[in-house]
Amino acid sequence: MIEAALAVEQLKLRRSALVRTTTALLVLGVPALVAGLSAAATRAAPGSALAVKAGALGAAQGWPAYLGLVGQALAVAALLGTGVVVAWCFGREFTDGTITSLFALPVSRAATATAKCAVLTAWGLAVVAAVPVVAVLGGLLIGLGAPGADALAPGLRAAAVGALSVLLAQPVGLAASAGRGPLPAVGALLLVVVLTQVVTALGAGAWFPYAAPGLWAGAGGPQAADGVRALHLALVPLVALIGHVATATWWARAQVV
Amino acid sequence: MSAGPEGAPLLAQGLVRSFDLEPAVDGVDLAVGRGQVHALVGLNGAGKSTLMRLLLGMVAPDAGRALVLGQDVTAAPPALWRQVGHLVEAPFAYPELTVRENLCAAGRLHGLEPAAAREAADRLLGDLALDPWADRRSRVLSLGNRQRLGLACALVHRPAVVVLDEPTNAMDPAGVLLVRRLLEVEAGRGAAVLVSSHHLDEVARIADRISVLHRGRVIGVLDPSGVDLERAFFATVYADEAARTGAAT
Repeated sequence: MIEAALAVEQLKLRRSALVRTTTALLVLGVPALVAGLSAAATRAAPGSALAVKAGALGAAQGWPAYLGLVGQALAVAALLGTGVVVAWCFGREFTDGTITSLFALPVSRAATATAKCAVLTAWGLAVVAAVPVVAVLGGLLIGLGAPGADALAPGLRAAAVGALSVLLAQPVGLAASAGRGPLPAVGALLLVVVLTQVVTALGAGAWFPYAAPGLWAGAGGPQAADGVRALHLALVPLVALIGHVATATWWARAQVV
Repeated sequence: MSAGPEGAPLLAQGLVRSFDLEPAVDGVDLAVGRGQVHALVGLNGAGKSTLMRLLLGMVAPDAGRALVLGQDVTAAPPALWRQVGHLVEAPFAYPELTVRENLCAAGRLHGLEPAAAREAADRLLGDLALDPWADRRSRVLSLGNRQRLGLACALVHRPAVVVLDEPTNAMDPAGVLLVRRLLEVEAGRGAAVLVSSHHLDEVARIADRISVLHRGRVIGVLDPSGVDLERAFFATVYADEAARTGAAT
């Protein structure tokens, strides 16, 4: 019966205006923002306020720097964007009152929760995979020229950072379920973002799964990026898996009270 | 047609459930036989919705058992629910889906294959006069039509047990007539139907049996063919209140 749950959840996601908007913001908005910053850094008069500010944000000339900045932007944007969609996907069942319709069905509630996790993860990964592709088009538009071999690694890293952020958004489903609505989950998401800043400032970022992708993307500088090991990044899928299992367990035991 | 309590497709045995120490359902025994429309009437807060949620496994009982087709709902395998349809609280109406898509989704989640779900959706669109809105998003529906959609979603898979909480909520007189006709059809094909309502005239027309629920307990039954159902209902409620007051002093 998981096929039925997958089909229904996929349809709900496909029809959602929030999902369409978030997809557009991530796929078009992130490359547009970074391309704009990079253009400002390279085209503004040297020493001008605009050039200084864009430079401070990490914008610089050339494909590696440009795609590196895409990765850094995606680390935050993919977490927030997909986190909001995850919060909606689970939380709306409570605020719309449709949760009662998901009881007393041959599709178990654990199967429904698992189907939600599966379609959300698949959607998020597809979106972040498209971002570097669109970013390349943006790079061409701002005159970076044809990308060389040196663009491949930062492009792949940007996609990987986005994928890790999508995975990190998955436990938001548990917060939306336990909080019985999207808003508590969005609050939890913002709290995690703040906590990430604090943990990073304290120097323990690489071991904190929510900080590791951003550091790896270069948000903390080249030295911090080099300090992120495969083991640190491997904690991220574990966080997603724990989130999925905990959410499905919560749904299996849920009551309408 | 009705079965004896033991063989009834829907059975409550001493069900108890409290919220914050306040009893919502307080020792209810109830049986809905095959082909029977059993109505629950009661004032707001009498425990009708909680009783239905207990029977559907939406909340766990503090004591007692809820049995659907002979199986305790707290340990029921998912396949059991293939034979149950319900409309409790909000209807199955996802606003971003069209009316037809909602019906197909409900059919799939109730165990129908895609082609059977589409076929059932077409049938229900006609049965509940939802054809004009078939391909409109359900967010544009009036409250009454959303309720019709919820009812259609509850019946899309021809369940053996039907549980409906205030199914005519927000419906116009034409909708109420449709519900009445539909419940007759469901009972006619052998479904056990439990329905709650505030409208005594309405239940008198559709029910084979009427149980009065008050403060979480079944305090009596009303004769659906009785001449003054409202008077009988309040007499039952006031007698129960008087008995409780007498017992407390």
